Amino acid sequence: MLQPEPFAGEEADEPGPSVESKNQAERITARRLRIAARNETKTRQELGEDSQGKEDIQEETRKSQKEVEKSKRHMVKLQSDGLELVTNIQVAVDARESDRRTELEEACRLRRDKLENEAKSSQEKFEEITRKWTDAKMKQTPLDLRDAMNSQQQLCEQILGDKNKLISELQQELKASDDHYVKDLKRQAKDIDLLIERMEEQISSLKKSYREDLQQIENSFDEERRTLLTKHRKKWGHQMKEQSEKELRNMMQGLSLLEEHEDLLQKLRVWKAEEYNTDKIRMDTEVQNLRKKLQEVKFNCHLNEEKLDYKYEVLKKREEENAILKSHLKRKIIRMQDVLNNLKSKCASQEKQLKTEEQSLRNDYTRIKQQYIDMQKKARHFAALDAERFEKLWLINEDEVKALAHRVLETDRIIHEQQLGLAWVSPPLPFMERSGPIEHKTLRTASQAAADTLQEETRGDLVEESEGLGDTASGVNRRTVKRILELLCDELGFLVESKLLKLVSHLEKNDQSLIKLDAIFSAIGIESEKDVYTMAEFLMNYRQHGREQRELMEEEETTNNSDFIHHNDLLVALKEFTAQYCRPHGVQASQKSSVLGLIMRDDSEDAAHWESIANVIPESKLRLWSALDTAINKYHTVLTERAELLVETQNVQQQNTELRQLLHLYTTSKASAEPEMQPTRMRQFPM
Amino acid sequence: MLHWWFRRFSCMSRSQSSRRTGSMRPVNAAADGRKMRSIIAEDSEWSLELVPLLTTLCLQHIIKHFREKPILDELTPKYKAYVLQRLPTSLPLTITANLISDESYWKRCCEGRWAVSDVSTYDNSWKRMFFERHLENIIEFFIPDATDTKTVLDVVPLCRNYVKRLKVSQLLPPIRESPRFDEDDRSDCASDTGSEGPSMDHFDFRILLDKLPNLEELNVVYGVKGCGMNFEWNLFEFTFRDCEFLAKALHSCKTLQVFRIHRSKVDDEKCCLLVSQLLDHPSLQELDFSHNHISDRGARAIGKLLNRSQLKRLVVCNNQIRGPGAQALAHALSKNITLLSLNLRLNRIGDEGGQALAQALVKNKTLVNLHLGGNNMTEPTAVALSQALVENCTLKNLNLSNNKLGVDGGKVLEEGMSHNSSLVECDIRLTDVSQDRSITVQ
Repeated sequence: MLQPEPFAGEEADEPGPSVESKNQAERITARRLRIAARNETKTRQELGEDSQGKEDIQEETRKSQKEVEKSKRHMVKLQSDGLELVTNIQVAVDARESDRRTELEEACRLRRDKLENEAKSSQEKFEEITRKWTDAKMKQTPLDLRDAMNSQQQLCEQILGDKNKLISELQQELKASDDHYVKDLKRQAKDIDLLIERMEEQISSLKKSYREDLQQIENSFDEERRTLLTKHRKKWGHQMKEQSEKELRNMMQGLSLLEEHEDLLQKLRVWKAEEYNTDKIRMDTEVQNLRKKLQEVKFNCHLNEEKLDYKYEVLKKREEENAILKSHLKRKIIRMQDVLNNLKSKCASQEKQLKTEEQSLRNDYTRIKQQYIDMQKKARHFAALDAERFEKLWLINEDEVKALAHRVLETDRIIHEQQLGLAWVSPPLPFMERSGPIEHKTLRTASQAAADTLQEETRGDLVEESEGLGDTASGVNRRTVKRILELLCDELGFLVESKLLKLVSHLEKNDQSLIKLDAIFSAIGIESEKDVYTMAEFLMNYRQHGREQRELMEEEETTNNSDFIHHNDLLVALKEFTAQYCRPHGVQASQKSSVLGLIMRDDSEDAAHWESIANVIPESKLRLWSALDTAINKYHTVLTERAELLVETQNVQQQNTELRQLLHLYTTSKASAEPEMQPTRMRQFPM
Repeated sequence: MLHWWFRRFSCMSRSQSSRRTGSMRPVNAAADGRKMRSIIAEDSEWSLELVPLLTTLCLQHIIKHFREKPILDELTPKYKAYVLQRLPTSLPLTITANLISDESYWKRCCEGRWAVSDVSTYDNSWKRMFFERHLENIIEFFIPDATDTKTVLDVVPLCRNYVKRLKVSQLLPPIRESPRFDEDDRSDCASDTGSEGPSMDHFDFRILLDKLPNLEELNVVYGVKGCGMNFEWNLFEFTFRDCEFLAKALHSCKTLQVFRIHRSKVDDEKCCLLVSQLLDHPSLQELDFSHNHISDRGARAIGKLLNRSQLKRLVVCNNQIRGPGAQALAHALSKNITLLSLNLRLNRIGDEGGQALAQALVKNKTLVNLHLGGNNMTEPTAVALSQALVENCTLKNLNLSNNKLGVDGGKVLEEGMSHNSSLVECDIRLTDVSQDRSITVQ
């Protein structure tokens, strides 16, 4: 607990804090123990032990705790006592030290006083000596001087003696203090020994007491445990006894119950046996009856068996037959199936073949179609070219013809004016004004006609009337046609496609009806304006027929539209119309070709045209011309003759002149030299 | 209940037995090994333990060459423990100091070097103990001018992280060969002898203290231990330059919490010097000037220090402080709010100082322990103290032993104590109070 100190009375620990700290530590341990005990009791409470045991435990723990605390207090007391015992030495040494110090101080003070006194006295003596020195100086006689010197010496010796005495005193003191020091050291050593001894004693006593306390605490714990054990054992024994008693009681109860049950069982057995006997008799009789019944049933059963056997035989035979039949059928089926399969395969192959054929045909078709289209294109192209060439040719020819005609006419005129001397009147020449090939007026399509008719509403009445005059030619009034068209438009809406209707719904009424009509016409097969009018006519006629048939209805309705077909009849009428006028299909085909672009020229009038041009000079004139020709020819021959004659005359005249010249020559100059030669040369140039 | 008890006892007994057989463990393990493996019958001497494992060989090699190639942290914990258990303690500190933190190794080091070692005073750290005692040893056997300062400085980087306390129990003076001494003397204690020379300075703490970042406690004695019959006054000289060095060293060491200088002849001048360097020290908590020669001037300086530091404990026992010094201390104490313990044992403060301290106790609200034993105090002090005790409510321990308080003083004191509620112990042995007793209040 306490470390051995190097010097007793010099090094010391504070006694307070160590004790206190020890105290605190112990307190802490005590508290911990208490807390642990409390926790234990708590857990035990929670475990649910009976209250008595709990109290006991509490008491017990309190007892052991008390023991612990007691021992702790005891130990603390022991420690503090021991500490006091040990520190007593320290305190004593301290006291001695302080005493020593006070003594030392006192001695010091005394010594200082003594020294001061001594110093003072020696100073006085010294002063005396110095004073005497001056006196000695005054001395004249050597004797006096010697006396003075002697006295001085004596004084000096006295001072020296004093000093020496002091020194020796001090030395003695020193020695004494040395001795004291040694003694002190020895005493301190003794003190330290004592201290150590006490410490050891303290330690051993503490050890002993600790051990004792431990023993006591252990004992108390043991005792506690033992008491607890005995208590619990007692409790256990008590409970065991109770348990065994209870079991015994239960056993007795069980035995009595068993006896009761056995009695009851006996009774029940007897009763049951009686019941059994009665039941047995009853059952026996019943068995007899049942046996009889059984015999009967057996007989019936046998009978039935026989019957069934027979039937079974029959059925078996039938079944056999059936089986044979079935096999036959099966075989047939198989055969049929084979046939079917064959046929199927054949069919498949056929189909395949056909397919390939179809494919090839299709290819051919497409090819041909393509060719056809190409051809068409070519044809169109050539047609265009032909037309152009034709036109050119036509123009050229016409020009030629026209020029020829002109020439002819001119010649004719000349002939007339010059040869015949007649006034020439030009014949009518309509073709001269015209140039190019004859253009045929194309037929107006039905839709156009319809458009025109419908358009009329917007125009004025004047126009209508003027137009109406032209229309009378076709036999139907234009207004009626329009009405009919409107009716058609209303009634035959089913012919128009719904998509188209949707498309046209936002257009004007006229346009709408026009488009509808177009669709309807294409459906019915009406192509041209003429068709429209024929239809209108037909319908009008039909109405008149209908009027005869249904006069009553007519009368009611004609109030509104007197000259109008009834809309109910329209369909029937149209049907009839289409049946009658199925011709348009052919026309349609021809016209379709024209639609394709091959506009067939009508060359019927061409011949006439050319003819007219060729016949620009009439027959009479030709005859005149031939007569004139012959006359002129004659005239020509005459003229040629005359010309020949003229030449002859000329030649003759020339010969004449030559001959004259020759003659002249002859006459003039040598007339005789060459008269014979001239005539020969003349003969060489006949006419 | 019974089962519980039984189990508990059996557990205890088992743990005891295991503790007892702890040292025998290797043998047991060997026996187990033998049990487990079958023995080859031809050689009855042969057993599997004769063939060491390869790992064991490797580890032994590591141990053998630890000096050249220290491998430790790379090992698995199991092998690390094995190596640490077998490393020789003679390894140089330069290798082991910062590498090994295992306590068992340092325990072996300590036990190999010192016979007595109480690890509980070293925070149960064997390593700390080893390094502190190692450094103390070096300082204690450091002879100025003869020993190279490198011997100290070399150790510093190794131990700087582990040293928290230095208890220097002796400081050797420099050697001065002097012809006056006999041959015997010199041969006996050559290192201890010294003579008046130009320099009698001891180890210079300046080179050390500022290099120890964890130092918290420093105990110094300027003197020689166990000089025996070779006693010389020179051996116990605390020169002014020593004091200067020490003061500067203390000033540089900012982590210091406890400073003790015992038996070093610290007089007023040196005390003033030390205190002047300790003023406003950031961490100093305990100051101990026991067994020195401090008197009133030094006490005044200490009084000044009291209110310019966080001192909690002040010990100036066995000095020569008298009334004025005690008055100065009392004045400082009356304003102080940190000091918990004051020890003025074996001074001569007398009634003058005692009364002043009693008056200071009235104002002070922190002091818990006060030791005024052996201070030549008499009855007036007892009267003043009894008045102070009525007012004071913090003081728990008061020691007034060895004062001549007298019978009347004792009575007055008892009366004062009866009004006090905090005092736990008051020691009035050898105070001439009617009966010697230690009164325990509460």
